[in-house]
Amino acid sequence: MVMRGLVMQPERTYLTWADRQAAARSYLDGVNWPAGRTEAWKFTSLAHLSDSALAVPRAGPYAAPEQNLDGIVISIAAGLAPDLTGLDLPDGVSVTDMSADEAACQQAFELLPDNHHLTALSASRQTCAVRLSVAAHTTIDTPLILQFAGGQAGEAAHPFVFIELGDGAHIHLAERHEGAASLSQPLILARLGESAKLDHIKFQNDSDNTTHLGLTLFRLDRQARVNSFAVSKGSQMARMETHCFFAAPDAEAAMSAVYLGRGTQHHDITTVVSHERRDCASRQLIRGVLDDKARGVFQGRVRVAPDAQKTDGQQMSRALLLSREAEADAKPELEIFADDVVCSHGATVGELDESLLFYLKSRGIAEAEARTMLIDAFLVDTLEEVSYPPFAEFLRHQVSGWTARQTREKQTA
Amino acid sequence: MSLLEIKNLHARIGDTEILHGIDLTINRGEVHAIMGPNGSGKSTLSYVLSGRDGYEVTDGDILLDGESVLEMEADERARAGMFLAFQYPVELPGVGGMAFLRAAVNARLREAGQDEVDQLEFVKMVRAEAKDLGIKDDMLKRAVNVGFSGGEKKRYEILQMALLKPSLAILDETDSGLDVDALKIVSEGVNALRSAECGMLVITHYQRLLNHIVPDYVHILAGGRIVKSGDKSLALDVEQNGYAGLGDAA
Repeated sequence: MVMRGLVMQPERTYLTWADRQAAARSYLDGVNWPAGRTEAWKFTSLAHLSDSALAVPRAGPYAAPEQNLDGIVISIAAGLAPDLTGLDLPDGVSVTDMSADEAACQQAFELLPDNHHLTALSASRQTCAVRLSVAAHTTIDTPLILQFAGGQAGEAAHPFVFIELGDGAHIHLAERHEGAASLSQPLILARLGESAKLDHIKFQNDSDNTTHLGLTLFRLDRQARVNSFAVSKGSQMARMETHCFFAAPDAEAAMSAVYLGRGTQHHDITTVVSHERRDCASRQLIRGVLDDKARGVFQGRVRVAPDAQKTDGQQMSRALLLSREAEADAKPELEIFADDVVCSHGATVGELDESLLFYLKSRGIAEAEARTMLIDAFLVDTLEEVSYPPFAEFLRHQVSGWTARQTREKQTA
Repeated sequence: MSLLEIKNLHARIGDTEILHGIDLTINRGEVHAIMGPNGSGKSTLSYVLSGRDGYEVTDGDILLDGESVLEMEADERARAGMFLAFQYPVELPGVGGMAFLRAAVNARLREAGQDEVDQLEFVKMVRAEAKDLGIKDDMLKRAVNVGFSGGEKKRYEILQMALLKPSLAILDETDSGLDVDALKIVSEGVNALRSAECGMLVITHYQRLLNHIVPDYVHILAGGRIVKSGDKSLALDVEQNGYAGLGDAA
């Protein structure tokens, strides 16, 4: 059984940027905003975007996010050209505006999934393109932070970042999304050379009115390693896709995520892992906490090609519902065409365990604090997946801040 | 004033009434044992006293230091001085042991209007108490009760009791699942906490625990009522003759 939808075709190329945009436009012309009828969008409808005329962002002042994560900040503000001047970059790292660089664009296009709504849209409405290159065998200790901010209601931002890690290169990269456009659609494509290593986090905390449709894609060469962790916390609706394409043997990817939903938020974590070559390992732990009327979706697709023997593919998703009106859906999809593989998946949805809550309360710990402790406990082992300690610390802080606020509000309500 | 007064207590779970009118008074410094066969309502009594959700009091009252606790949540009762040592302590994956113990102790201190405990000082305090109970550092570092043996869980309960210094300790079948050595350690831990300030309610199915924690009074619970009360010799009667016959006295 092969599901149609997000099938990767990495060999496909487009001649120029303009070609790609034209192809994307013609693709989109015939397609409505995806909704339940499309399998890949079964649980997440973008119908609300159909009627909105979204403008290209205007330049304007914006609130810079709190600087609570140390590193070299590459500011990508909606409506402004990427701020690359004055960047104090270490040797071996270059950050350039790629908008006019067709050769680079073409390299990037090769990574794009085909027949894919999000990337088609991105490519057709690109608002800026940044290229980040790291020379072979270069290790950068200071984290690089892609800081997406700015924009306002009625605007759509489509930033694009192409990341190339040379053979044996190693960086720590954070995506911070703290913008206010109505539609935020970041496209991050990363190509890892042989034995390259990437520690990556994506922190999505866009404004309450934002629809965030992000895609982060990794293409791994032989023995490359990526450790990626996404936290979806902001936006009214967020669809965060992470794709991983194993292009050569012996590579490893960890792609875990946490989503935190309140009010009427909708969080969708979608992953697509393509094991194309043998001896690669992928591992995904997904945890969601949903309060009020929030909805959470996890779709995880693992494809194992006939040549990808000895694949190790693990996937586990768990959702915790804090309210009777919250809802979680999980759709794991395994498409395995090789016969000597170890693949597993599992999905659970549950509530806070009354017996655990009673145990804490019987020790004098108040309800709100007890709930906070149990919610944090539900998330803690997932956060341990984050390989780079300063990133782990940053995300833990964000997650526990959310939990504390949520339980405090419930108490005073 | 009595430490605990249970007056004509009726309680149910769902539509089933389990306790049919219990009267019991415990003064400070006294150790009372409640014995009873399976299904007599022992665990229900411990949960009703400590305020677990789902256990509804339909008649009667529970007074702690003269104040009714019926409108109090479990955490408020605990901060008022009640402590329940669980028959089956639950595992709390992801909840660090030290953070848990500290949260509990600080909740008590805040209630009493005192400063929260300093972290380093707290660790020292816990280690000292833990040592007496044969609890190793490794256990303290783990998540609460996760990977603990049955005996270790019970020792950890007593450690919490030692740290929280309750005025009323309810020990729910603390002997279940313990071998002789573990029973001895746990009992010594409990006995060390006996004081003129603290009252204890020791709930047990078997008499053997009462060889180690010697009660001042023994009550037999059967069919949701106390059917007989006496001194420690009553427990020996039960040991020899069983519960048969005692329930008929009701």
